[in-house]
Amino acid sequence: MPVSEALVRAKIPQDLAKDVGVESLGRTKARAFAQAFLKNSIRQQAHHEINNMLKRKALILGYARPKKDKSKRNRKKAKGLNARQKREMKIFQIKPEHQRYELFLPLHELWRQYVIDLCGGLKPTSNPQLVQQKLLKADFHGAIITVVRSKCPSYVGTTGILVQEFKHVFKIITKENKLKVIPKRNSVFAVEINGFVSHIYGSKFEQRASERSAKKFKVRGTIDL
Amino acid sequence: MSPDLERTPRNLLVSERSSFLDQKNRISSQLDQLHFNYKVCVLLPECSSAPSHLDSALNTFSSFYLIRKLPLYELLDTHFLETVRHGGVSGLSYRTRLDEDNCVALMPNGRLSLSLDKDSFELLGVEGKPSRFNHRTKSRFVVCVDLTDSSMAPGGRGYQRLVTGLTSRLPLKTDFLMSLPAGGGASVQALLSRYDWSEHRPEVSSCSLTDLLCPAPLTSDPPAPLTSDPHRLLEWLGAVHAAVSCENSSSSFLSSLVCPEPNKKLSHALRVSVCGLLSHQDVQKLIQEIRVYLSVSPPGSASWASVTLHGFVDSPVSWGGEEHGVLRGGDNFLSLMMFPDQSYLLHLATGAHDTCPP
Repeated sequence: MPVSEALVRAKIPQDLAKDVGVESLGRTKARAFAQAFLKNSIRQQAHHEINNMLKRKALILGYARPKKDKSKRNRKKAKGLNARQKREMKIFQIKPEHQRYELFLPLHELWRQYVIDLCGGLKPTSNPQLVQQKLLKADFHGAIITVVRSKCPSYVGTTGILVQEFKHVFKIITKENKLKVIPKRNSVFAVEINGFVSHIYGSKFEQRASERSAKKFKVRGTIDL
Repeated sequence: MSPDLERTPRNLLVSERSSFLDQKNRISSQLDQLHFNYKVCVLLPECSSAPSHLDSALNTFSSFYLIRKLPLYELLDTHFLETVRHGGVSGLSYRTRLDEDNCVALMPNGRLSLSLDKDSFELLGVEGKPSRFNHRTKSRFVVCVDLTDSSMAPGGRGYQRLVTGLTSRLPLKTDFLMSLPAGGGASVQALLSRYDWSEHRPEVSSCSLTDLLCPAPLTSDPPAPLTSDPHRLLEWLGAVHAAVSCENSSSSFLSSLVCPEPNKKLSHALRVSVCGLLSHQDVQKLIQEIRVYLSVSPPGSASWASVTLHGFVDSPVSWGGEEHGVLRGGDNFLSLMMFPDQSYLLHLATGAHDTCPP
């Protein structure tokens, strides 16, 4: 403020100077005096003290994440279709023109080879126990199965190649090119390879084929139908 | 009956009183409905030996065949089916226990009834029903097939299924008793020649009894209506036929059966029994002869006659083709008491596992 500045630089009047007891200096002397006074008032920093104050650390100013590669994000595992979509797409339904017994005979041959390899060559001298153990974990798609006993009399005697195995049913195709759905429960099935006839008690076999290979079978309950 | 016996399983008794001269009597249809007759027992009072015409009737019962180890698919043989369709062929499996083994019955009207246990039924694969007399678990099943039906013609679907069932899946073999209509022997010769068979005549045994106690109302002239309990009358009759003494003496502990009071002593009586697979015609003829005998005999001598017809204990069917079962005794019998005035008193009795007689 120019008024207060002017006041600071103004000389003290003579009569006031006598009363207070100060002596005003001349202009140049006052200036020199003010400068010297200010210099003495400010503390001088030593060089090494300034050097100590420097931490010499890297200081992070801004923070930006590196951009990830967008193309990697879409490579998740395929979730698969849920049951409704499967039913709509009908992927597990065999079309009528494909429902012919002859078409599945090569599958049966493949299955026979598979089982013979699995049991280490089915010789007449093989141990039935061993064969049974292997068959418990084997896959039966392509086997020719026969219903030997059943609580429902009309299932007894149906024979065919196993086309699909679900958790509770077998789907087989008979020689008359009919696709039959046979529930596993309360039936006994017979599978024959090279003279070995195995009876499968369907009530104990109610797992998906994929899960059965990892399942331990316990002797529980009765095998009476 | 003593109170202890009342806790036994129930039995059914149907009593009927009618006359042969009555138009509406059902005696012949009732007789026909008991398909498989095992034994006929005749009791004639005041008679020491059978009169001649009765004797001839008793001895001319038609013979029956016993085939050993007959496989059941042979009953579906085309020639045999022809004979069955004409009617009159009846057959029963022999020495098979109804509550344990598989039993077979072929009725004269062409119906084949198989009573199977659970495993056999599950193996056979022919439609059937669980037995009516299963208590909680289904352990017996009945397969009933009408051989005169069109689907059972050779080549029909039902026929094919039953034949494959009996040949490959459940090869049942039983001893088989067969009774053929007159003149039918020739048609089954082919079948019989393949297996071990024998022909039998029904066995006749007669016994003359003396000093027999019998209930007094029967011997009065005219016979008074029996007011006594039919159970006691039948007990007495059974005791006579089984040769159990009805004296109830204190020294004998075998039986305490007594003749119903009031009773009278008969000087003579004749007891005749015929055993075997008996046909209806023979039984009807016998009853006819006894009616004639009663009507011509002098009054006072023979005032009544009793005929008891027993069915097979192990037959899968009893009255009218209905299912029959064995609980503690599979008795089903018919007891006919005839009087000179052509009236009769008929009792039809069955055991626990049975339907009500007609």
